[in-house]
Amino acid sequence: MAAADSPSAALRRRDLCSRGIRLAGKMRADVVDLLDAYVEQQGLDASASVAAVEGVPLAAVERWDEQTGTQRLLENLAAYRAFRALLAQMLEEQREQLGEADAGLGRALAAVLLQVSAFAYHLEELLRLESRGIPGEEEDGPPPPPRLSRFEQKLRGLGVLRELAHWAVRSERQLAKPSPASGAAPGLAESP
Amino acid sequence: MWKNSSLRCLLALAILCLRSLIYSQEIGSLGDPQNLKCVTHNLQKMLCTWDVSSRGRRGQTDFCYTTNDLTPQVCFKTKERRVEIPIPESSITVTIKSSGTATKEFVIHQKDISFVPITPHILSLMPDFPTSTLNLKWSDNGSVFPYGLDALWQIQILRKEPMEVVTQVTYYSKLTHEDVILSWNWTSDMPLECTSHYVKIRCYINATQFVGSKDWSDWSPTEVIPGKDTEPGESGVFPLDPVVAVGSDLTFCCVHEEDQRITNMTYGSKSYTMMQLSSRSHAIRVLNANVSNSSGTNVVCRLENAWEGSVVFVGYAPDTPQNLSCETPNFLIIKCTWKPGRPSGLYGERRTKYSLFERTSGRNVSCEVSGLNKDHVCDFPVLPAQKTYDFILGVSNPIGQAKSSLLVDITQRVHPKTPEKLTVTENNSTSIQLRWFINGSFAEIRLLCQLEISSSHSERKLNVSTPGRKSSTYTAQVNELHPHTKYQFRVRCSDADHFWRWSDWSRGVEQTTSEAPPARGPDIWRERSPSGENVIVFWKPLSPSESNGIIVSHEVSCYLLDMLLEHKVVLEPSNSTEIKLGKSDCVISVVARNNAGSSPPSRITSVELPSDNVTTDQAVAVGNGINISWDSYPNMTCGYIVKWCHSSGSEPCSVDWQKFPSNTTSVVIKSALFKPGVRYNFSLYGCKSMGYQLLKNVTGYMKELPPKTAPNFIVEETSSDSILVKWEDIPIEECRGFFKRISSFLCKGEKDALKPRLSESGNPELKVNNITDLTKKSMKILDLQGKTSYQLELQAYTAGGLSPPNSLYVVTKEDSVGLIIAILIPVAVVVLLGVLASIFCYRKREWIKETFYPEIPNPENSKALQFQRNICEGNKTLKTLEMNPCTPNSVEVVETQSTAPKIEDTEMMSPAAETTVPEDGSESEMENHVVVSYCPPIIEEEISNPPTDEPGGSSQVVYIDIQSMYQPQIKPEEEPEIDLVTTAGYKPQMQLSISALKIEGHSPVEEELDKTAGYRPQANTNAWNMGTPDSPGSVESNNENASFGSPCSINSRQFLLPPKDDEDSPKPINTAWSFTHFFQNKPND
Repeated sequence: MAAADSPSAALRRRDLCSRGIRLAGKMRADVVDLLDAYVEQQGLDASASVAAVEGVPLAAVERWDEQTGTQRLLENLAAYRAFRALLAQMLEEQREQLGEADAGLGRALAAVLLQVSAFAYHLEELLRLESRGIPGEEEDGPPPPPRLSRFEQKLRGLGVLRELAHWAVRSERQLAKPSPASGAAPGLAESP
Repeated sequence: MWKNSSLRCLLALAILCLRSLIYSQEIGSLGDPQNLKCVTHNLQKMLCTWDVSSRGRRGQTDFCYTTNDLTPQVCFKTKERRVEIPIPESSITVTIKSSGTATKEFVIHQKDISFVPITPHILSLMPDFPTSTLNLKWSDNGSVFPYGLDALWQIQILRKEPMEVVTQVTYYSKLTHEDVILSWNWTSDMPLECTSHYVKIRCYINATQFVGSKDWSDWSPTEVIPGKDTEPGESGVFPLDPVVAVGSDLTFCCVHEEDQRITNMTYGSKSYTMMQLSSRSHAIRVLNANVSNSSGTNVVCRLENAWEGSVVFVGYAPDTPQNLSCETPNFLIIKCTWKPGRPSGLYGERRTKYSLFERTSGRNVSCEVSGLNKDHVCDFPVLPAQKTYDFILGVSNPIGQAKSSLLVDITQRVHPKTPEKLTVTENNSTSIQLRWFINGSFAEIRLLCQLEISSSHSERKLNVSTPGRKSSTYTAQVNELHPHTKYQFRVRCSDADHFWRWSDWSRGVEQTTSEAPPARGPDIWRERSPSGENVIVFWKPLSPSESNGIIVSHEVSCYLLDMLLEHKVVLEPSNSTEIKLGKSDCVISVVARNNAGSSPPSRITSVELPSDNVTTDQAVAVGNGINISWDSYPNMTCGYIVKWCHSSGSEPCSVDWQKFPSNTTSVVIKSALFKPGVRYNFSLYGCKSMGYQLLKNVTGYMKELPPKTAPNFIVEETSSDSILVKWEDIPIEECRGFFKRISSFLCKGEKDALKPRLSESGNPELKVNNITDLTKKSMKILDLQGKTSYQLELQAYTAGGLSPPNSLYVVTKEDSVGLIIAILIPVAVVVLLGVLASIFCYRKREWIKETFYPEIPNPENSKALQFQRNICEGNKTLKTLEMNPCTPNSVEVVETQSTAPKIEDTEMMSPAAETTVPEDGSESEMENHVVVSYCPPIIEEEISNPPTDEPGGSSQVVYIDIQSMYQPQIKPEEEPEIDLVTTAGYKPQMQLSISALKIEGHSPVEEELDKTAGYRPQANTNAWNMGTPDSPGSVESNNENASFGSPCSINSRQFLLPPKDDEDSPKPINTAWSFTHFFQNKPND
């Protein structure tokens, strides 16, 4: 770990991790609030069972304690990039469906999208600090999702926000939790 | 007749034969063709069929027919048992000969032919799933009929498993001798996806000219629209995301897998009862749907392991646009506005959309509107060479559509844009030029622009008409402005020829005009100084509209016959100056000056004409000013001046005045400086050519208030029945109104007593005197009681009310005559009683001697004897003849030096005896007492208290002089000595603290004596009743009691049990009558 040798790099990593923890915590709180507003505004039931939505990364990955820090970073980055696309799509659908009505929900959605983008950028910074290449985003992006019914859109939105909330918790913990390998540095930042 | 009968019989026989022949045609013999039936499908040809025996089925059949005798018979061979032949006009004769059978002849009439239309065929059955509509198409086959006919089509819709007829409708059409494709739409109340729908059709042609039987065609083959429940793997809630009108009845179905079980179906938050459509489809029915929220109402089908759903958007069809109005702001675009009316409740892609269509040009514009409830706006381009526009505003949403139209001539609907770039250029102090710009092409019209010119005290509008130009700057000149005034300008414009609307106001610009010389000279007045040597010149500041700038100074000049005596420049802000003039007079000229120049001069003469009989009136404001009126003075040629002075306390008087024309006789002087309760002095001057003359003075109040204080007063003289009160004037500033009267209130009262105001006390003994003659400064109040404390209050009245009271207490002097009478009468009564008693004793001396002093004393009469002796010795009080069973146990030998005691009232009631301990006198007598008996005969002396309010009421004290059995005498003028104990003789068992009997003056010496005292009686002597009225010997008696000490002593029992009430008395209340009281004033006096 080349960056770990430099005191300034360690300092920078610590700074990035602590800011990342705060960002993830704020994002988690905002997503939880948004989730409540979303369920109420869309007329859904909080107990609605949502099947796994295609393209939504699942936070509950088995044995992620065994992953190295870089693997976790990469997995987080992939997840938040996916969320960024999904939230942008939700925002677009929201505008299509509601127009100027319920602008508050649209603003909250846009705010979370901004936080997700910021967090993804933050993860990229951490990866750069690890001297690891940042996986490029697919230029064409993911294939356009099939045309969903309005109800399916609602359920998918619910699934996206729920999973994003889970990811926010996971990211916050992973940034805060010491790596099993190092014991001192935050888990996400630990390189193999 | 017979012949006729035979003919008839023959005819009947022939008919019978013919009938039998016909019957044989139909029935025939076994194996012959039979059951010939003819059916037509097109009313031109008919299809005839018959039955033959099995024998005749082989081989060809010869078939011939002829319609009448004239036409040749048509014959042909056929292997089938059906032929198509033309429909006869009336009847047709058919002969059929099969091989091996006989020829069979049939006659077919038209009525025997059946008309059954050809079975229709469904050309197409198309579903429209979003609208749940089926479109059915079929051909009417009209070309096969020789003429037009009415056709009825019966269409049947079936669904569910097993099939149930949902609806059956009859469709009417006209056959027009050609094939026409007919189409029919049916909207299902259930989504077509929910389950399969089946359709079939049949026909009936109402051929009225055809006499045969007519019947429905057969049903067409059934066409089916399969539901989603027939497609493997298909599931979901249908219809999918529908948009429906409020109040609709809706059916939703849930299509699922065969093995899945539905938990429930909800619409919104409400669960509905499901009905089964098929093994894979269930439905719910929602009646009268309410408007949904912005995100739609969810219809959820909860399966065991999944949710299926749809979102329904319930809203309103668009309302007709209201108040559609179109105008042009610049002849480049036409701006149309309208109110959208009732919200549709649909948003986003389902929102209401607007389009503007112009019929003349055929141009259509889609309108992008924003805002939920604001006025909607849509722009349409101005077309070249078109003035009149016929607009149709189309409104649509998924539920419905509406429209509104407007025909408008835009040259009469000009609403110019807001003028911009407004600037001001000053020409001079009263004139400016305004410039502004309007964006637009107004070359074809004239513009009317309105200029608003406002300052702090004025506002006016100026209309300017100017030819319109294309995106040009316009100018206007504004005159008659006031110098040195801050103005705000703004402008708006409209079409001058066809006014429609003003534009919005432009942004305001400010401009202050430059200064100009003052418009007029100041208003001036002059007064002679108190010394008469100088003249003080006053002037009033010019108003802003007159000063035309900032006044920097005033120039005061004094001319005597064009000769300048004095010239002064007085800088602002002074408004007066003093000119030394001596006794002479001059014409005073005052000029106001600002930076632009000087005002015209104001002139006034200093001459003040003598006046006589100047009266002073009083005036109080009515309304908001003080009214001053006067008689007309014809010789006052140049008007009147009312001058007054504003003064507030210590500040110097500020002169103010007002001028009035000559014909004025009454004015109301108003000033914001006038205050209520302040006295103002007005002077009315008349103006003559020679000078000014004082005509009258007026004292006035804006409003009268109650005086601040009451007059200060003193009691100058006091007698036993009257007092003389004198008071001073109240200072003018404290009067606060014109005095109406002064009132005095007099009532008995002590100084320390807390009493309400006398005027409010309601005391019936209250004496009230009102003095309306305000020149009086004193008053004598009579009929008072002597030696009595009175409370006296004075209050002053104005029209504004009553001043606070000023009060003092006064005590009248004693009435000496009454005093003397009060002394003499009791003394005379006592003397008279004594004389009578002496006379009585003298007259009855023998009897008394026999009774009380017999020669041989009777021991039993000893007490009576004692009683008798007391009487004879003139004891002042009657003793009860109480015979106490007490046997003397010793003999008291008394060596007395005093004469028989003579008790006087004055001694008994002496306050000194009550409140102080005798210091000497009594002790000298006590020294001579030799006590030889401890229990002498008891003589009780009851002394009633004088009738007072003392709580103790009365007490009973036994005084005894053991030696003489007489009360000891104390002279009132004798002062008892303090050193009582030290000078006293033997006192058994104790020395009673004298101090305990004292009220005041408890000296340390006495305290020391108390400490050295011996035995104390079993009572607190300090608590003994000091207020007990006693005789002059009471103190001595107390000492006697002290000498006995024991509680069993009959002499001391009263003091051993002192009344409780007396303990609470801080000091004895002297209620006894005392001679000295006649000469004693109250302490406060």
